[in-house]
Amino acid sequence: MTERSAFKRRIEAMIADFEAGKAVDPASRDALIEDLARWQAERIPEYGRMRRRGPWPPALPTDVFRFRRIAAHPEEQDVRVFRSSGTTSADRSVHVYRDLSLYDSAARAAARHMLFPDVEKMRLVVLAPRESEAPDSSLDYMLARFAEWFGTDCSWVWSDGKLDLETMTEALRRAEAHGEAVALLGTSFAFVHAEDGLADRRFTLPPGSRVMQTGGYKGRSREVEPEALLAAIAERYGLPAAFIINEFGATELSSQLFETTLREQIRGARGRRRLWAPPWVRATPVDPDTLEPVRGDAVGILRIDDCANLDSVCCIQTADLTRRLDDGIVVLGRATGATPRGCSLAADEALGAA
Amino acid sequence: MSDDASAIRERAAAVREAGATLRTATTDERASWLADSADRLLREVASRSAALAESTGLSAPMVSWAARTTLRTVDAQALSRLASQAQQSGSDPIAMLSVILAGNVFTASVRGIVVPLLLGVPVLVKSSSRETLFPAMLRDALHRTDPGLGAGMDLVVFLGGDREREAALVESAEAVAVYGSDQTVASIAARCGDKALIAHGHGVSAAYCGSHALSKARIDRTVAAVSLDVCAYDQRGCLSPQVIYVEAAKDCPALEFAERLAAEGLEPLSQALPRGPLPAAVGAAQAQWRGVAEVEGTLMRGDTFAICVHDQGPIRWSPGYRNVCVVPTNGIGAAFDAMRPFAASLKCLGTDGASRAGVEDELARREAFQAYACNLGQMQAPPLDAPADGRPIWYGLLEA
Repeated sequence: MTERSAFKRRIEAMIADFEAGKAVDPASRDALIEDLARWQAERIPEYGRMRRRGPWPPALPTDVFRFRRIAAHPEEQDVRVFRSSGTTSADRSVHVYRDLSLYDSAARAAARHMLFPDVEKMRLVVLAPRESEAPDSSLDYMLARFAEWFGTDCSWVWSDGKLDLETMTEALRRAEAHGEAVALLGTSFAFVHAEDGLADRRFTLPPGSRVMQTGGYKGRSREVEPEALLAAIAERYGLPAAFIINEFGATELSSQLFETTLREQIRGARGRRRLWAPPWVRATPVDPDTLEPVRGDAVGILRIDDCANLDSVCCIQTADLTRRLDDGIVVLGRATGATPRGCSLAADEALGAA
Repeated sequence: MSDDASAIRERAAAVREAGATLRTATTDERASWLADSADRLLREVASRSAALAESTGLSAPMVSWAARTTLRTVDAQALSRLASQAQQSGSDPIAMLSVILAGNVFTASVRGIVVPLLLGVPVLVKSSSRETLFPAMLRDALHRTDPGLGAGMDLVVFLGGDREREAALVESAEAVAVYGSDQTVASIAARCGDKALIAHGHGVSAAYCGSHALSKARIDRTVAAVSLDVCAYDQRGCLSPQVIYVEAAKDCPALEFAERLAAEGLEPLSQALPRGPLPAAVGAAQAQWRGVAEVEGTLMRGDTFAICVHDQGPIRWSPGYRNVCVVPTNGIGAAFDAMRPFAASLKCLGTDGASRAGVEDELARREAFQAYACNLGQMQAPPLDAPADGRPIWYGLLEA
């Protein structure tokens, strides 16, 4: 058995244990991260150049995915290339995969636990392009898998770069008429487009219906405060706020974090809204100078150690601001890279100029 | 605390009216009052450095350094000299100026307020909502020195982007000076109509170290001067060097220069002039910037600074806060070629003394560049009469 195969087995076993309802010991996850990072540092020169500081392996900044191919395997073994959204190549992170099976296992297990804990399958309405329209989008890949794993039927209501409001309305009216719960899945900006386009069309979706929204706005719609969008969605579709959750994902990651309210509501618990990380993921606010975990609920920048990133780098330093909340985290927003220097050039503008 | 539109209008009217009294004084009298005010303010800063550290986000030693180096430029002789230069045109001063300050370099208010008052132009100042203390201390120092002078400057505070308040600020003035982002400048420009806009928008600065400055005899001084330029105001200002071009030299190649800059310059200064607390959003950008440099194999870091030795591709602009690029170059011409993509945004080019004439020649020869040259170690301590954005500091303060 190759070292890679051994790592893959360890990760798969961790996910399988979780799916089987067995407790996953954080210490075994941490040991896996440690071993995996060492193995990756030996194979990925960019990561190998990073020096350890503090108790954990170094975390690779997400920006590196914009400049370099980060992979422990040669390019000819790539089976899939995911790119983040952006207008120029320098804006877009690239994450290559030689194998999507771990991605699939991680996505299925986490979504089953947090988004569909109470149903095997349900009707889906997806406010995002089909996978065939955006083959390099990890989000669209994930949504396509959700449709296969969790959908009884699926209406794709985003095509040719815009929301198809009539198809969306029709799908939701059908769910209302049949009394069959529906899950709306899409980006935050798509939900804003729906708010702007649906005007006075409102819905009373059957009990058990839910919304999963994800991602920021990236200039694709007007920006709406998260609380305001949550309230607007609740009112528009006739849903309790607890059944509207955020998914946190990134091109550079193979696993997703989900908000807790839907699962807790279904289980009769009443926790505060926060992001849950699956047990093969370690999500930690770190100090921006020392890159070590912050204490208590201080604001830090989000480091994610994702064991499902087998063939790239598992330790990732994001540019998101975050803090701990109870047993999870809340993400406070992404630093834009623009500087607070009142009369200095913003980083991206200068890069563009150069 | 926030002033509403009617309060802004009242203050604007009072300031404008005070202009008449201000102009009855001679230039020498105004110069003398302003120099006295600067002395007074410097004494005040010494007793309030902790409060200023809190409001500016800088360390108390950095606040003291910044106040000292700025306010000492406001001496009667320099003021009189500047007034003479400005008055050569024979034009009368405008009746009133509105000034919108940014929060990144708290002492920017000094030149922005002192120069108009010297020329007899009363000023209404909108301070940054983040930093109101220093402009208020300046106003109080002016009042205490001479009530007539003090009446010629007042302060308003409100959040930028408020259409009604910005209109009230602008409407009484003949000209509006704006320090801030391009977005702020554009927003104010839209409200100015045919009034003169004196824009101090986006910009970056760079430093150039020629081989002479890297010789064994001079390298210590060069490292000390460049370090001070990087650390001043925690590299938050547009006069802070983001990039240091280092000429290929046998005595001290760029990599060695960077090592010495870290060990002998930035590290000691992190004790003498500590960096202020890092805002979380800047911290996020810093982690990315440093991480990419580390991956490229070019990062040197201390607890509160980092250097990226960058020898190819476009500059990755740092978020400031003592994160700087060192770039090897083959000479002044090559450095200017490298700066061409951001020539229009370049505000100041610090240079060693031996290279200064060559740098000034290039600046004069290349139309795309509007920057001015100064000596290393003085990038963040411009003299009172240093040009701003390619124009004399009194630009816009005299009738056309």
